Amino acid sequence: MSPVQNKSHESLEALLRHEKIWRAGEASLLAGIPTHFPVLDSLLPNHGWPQASLIEILTAQEGIGALRLMLPAIAQLTQTQWAIWVCPPHVPYAPALQAAGVVLERLLIVEPDTSEQMDLNYVLWVFEQALRFVDCGIAMAWIGTAQYDRLRRLQLACEQGQTCGVMFRPESFAIQPSPAVLRLSLTGNADSTSIRILKSQGGVRNRNCQLAL
Amino acid sequence: MFVTVTANSRYDSLSGEGEKAMLNTQLKMTQTQQALYTLDTYKPLARGLRKNGCEEGNQLWLHVHLPQFSLDILTCGNSNKEACVLVEGQGTGSKIVQANSHAARLGVRLGMSLSAAKILGNLTVLSRNERAESLTLERLCAWAYQFTPIISATPPDGLLLEIKSSLKLFGGIEGLLTQVRRGLRDLGHKAVIAVAPTPAAATVLARAERQCVILSEQELPKALGPLPLEALRLDPKQLAVLKSIGARLIEDCLRLPRGGLGRRTAPKLIENFSQLLGQSPDPRQRFSLPKLFQSQIEIPWETSNAQSLGIAGGRLLHELTGYLRSCSAVTRRLRWSLNYTAGHSSHFQLELAQPSRDYDHFALLLRERLSRIQLEGKVKGMALYVDDVSPDQVVAERDLFKQRSVGGNEDWPSFLDRLRARLGEQVVKGLQQVADHRPECAWRWSDIPSNPNTSTPTTGSPAKVPARPLWLMRHPIRLHKEKGHLDINGPLRFVSERERIETGWWDGEPVRRDYFVATNPCGERLWIYRELAGGKDWYLHGIFE
Repeated sequence: MSPVQNKSHESLEALLRHEKIWRAGEASLLAGIPTHFPVLDSLLPNHGWPQASLIEILTAQEGIGALRLMLPAIAQLTQTQWAIWVCPPHVPYAPALQAAGVVLERLLIVEPDTSEQMDLNYVLWVFEQALRFVDCGIAMAWIGTAQYDRLRRLQLACEQGQTCGVMFRPESFAIQPSPAVLRLSLTGNADSTSIRILKSQGGVRNRNCQLAL
Repeated sequence: MFVTVTANSRYDSLSGEGEKAMLNTQLKMTQTQQALYTLDTYKPLARGLRKNGCEEGNQLWLHVHLPQFSLDILTCGNSNKEACVLVEGQGTGSKIVQANSHAARLGVRLGMSLSAAKILGNLTVLSRNERAESLTLERLCAWAYQFTPIISATPPDGLLLEIKSSLKLFGGIEGLLTQVRRGLRDLGHKAVIAVAPTPAAATVLARAERQCVILSEQELPKALGPLPLEALRLDPKQLAVLKSIGARLIEDCLRLPRGGLGRRTAPKLIENFSQLLGQSPDPRQRFSLPKLFQSQIEIPWETSNAQSLGIAGGRLLHELTGYLRSCSAVTRRLRWSLNYTAGHSSHFQLELAQPSRDYDHFALLLRERLSRIQLEGKVKGMALYVDDVSPDQVVAERDLFKQRSVGGNEDWPSFLDRLRARLGEQVVKGLQQVADHRPECAWRWSDIPSNPNTSTPTTGSPAKVPARPLWLMRHPIRLHKEKGHLDINGPLRFVSERERIETGWWDGEPVRRDYFVATNPCGERLWIYRELAGGKDWYLHGIFE
């Protein structure tokens, strides 16, 4: 190889190593946050929840373990960082969280006194601020209808704040496009929950797994 | 210089009281200021001046003259929108004494009669508020305390700062002047600043609108000479006498023999000239710092717009941060009140997670708060009151090493403050476990620690505990039996043993319940209970999400 060729080859390599360049089929360089569910880990790129990304979890009904799925990650992240809950639908129950190893002192819950304050703009504003905040490890919000560009802002906020953002949404939004890096759909059965990967950047999609949550 | 000497001896006595660890300059400054603060309130500087009067260049006085002071106070916040003039006198004899730049552009000149000026354009006519002027002058002195501990107010429209001992700290005369000018601009005042070795000379130069710096007494006659006698603000009778003997400028008087001049006019006049040139002592009343901060601002054009309130509030915040810097202090509670045109007023406070004196942070919180406040009408005034002032022990300014970027490296306390200011104090909460067997009493909302590293994280309880759901209903939901079965999205099936909770009889909220974990065909896991007392009803209390 001539020196000129060699040089151009090197500069191309350097360019491809740039953090802003993402090549399809190659997972991001950041290691994933372990889900603590080995079956799920094996299906996700980097063997865990993607870091600094928006994750969307779609469920048809409550009580099938959507939050329990995130609980090990919350427990791990609250050891060093903050976990912010934006307008949760019910009260997060402290004894259960503590039993799961979550550090209660690092939880911040935004809950207005009256429910009419909880409109979509309010939730999205708080969620975005939480995602942009560097010391926040994970932020969770329960969001219904939202425009694509608002969700795109959230994804950018995740990248800016290096925060893991989790949106819990009803199953009916599965058909709408979403900028989330990872989209999971949860369906409850009598004794287990089946998880389908709708979208996984840098990974495989349309895979299923069964977890007893 | 005598002041420094006094301060140092005071400092020594303080260090004897166990404060020897304070070595850095910042804290030494604080000590000096505190020491000075405890001195007699109005101790004249005469002693020091007599002792040092003949020595060269021991003092340097900076006079801040505010040519539009009365107008600045009346038009604060909005002066750049309308042409405003200040008038003196009654009826047809009323004359314009101050005019802002908009009015000047219309052709309004000082000394014009009001009726003549009104022809030139649409003017807002204001008259002096002397009480507000003296209060504002006092606050300006408190603000100036950050530059020097020796300050004297020269009513009605100026203040004197002795700056010789502060020059090194602020990087020389230029550095100091830049900071003073910037500060005054932020406070919304147009200022003329002159520096001279004697207080009287600085005053005369500034009032004659000569922005100059004179460092030695030898240069004084040359600088003062060409000024008209009016600049001295003499008694009209004395001025008339001097004019009658043909003196128009200060140099004319300086040439005259002192003894004769004294006999013909008044000995006081001779004294004035000596003080001007630094030949005799010129004692001034010293300003002392108030213990709490209290300031208000009148908004001349009543507003119901939160944004213009933000501008007026910004002025108050500049004063506050200047005051806090003066006494090396920080605060964590800002009490605001809004005065409405209808006569009533409303109050709100800004609480900070961490004490601070950072203007940008204060201003951000105020803007967030104003954006969500419901105004009850038009606002005519705004007041800020801070009594929770604590000495700053550790860091002077928060961002000493930290580069602040847009939303980037925000720290936890300021993030928390911003959320609270926007959403409300009660909306942002923490979570805490409580040792109680009653499920609804086993947790409570708690305050968020401003510094999470100080609290020790509690580890999960090792004892075997029965399953608890992640979601607790805010209020238990009563379930109705359908065809003899419990039904939520399908018939429920119990998947756990019964857990009886029977406690709380001692505090008036007794609980007697049997708890079960139940599932339905959809896979939902629910936490339900049955009352053992009364109607033995079933309730949904939690969801195993």
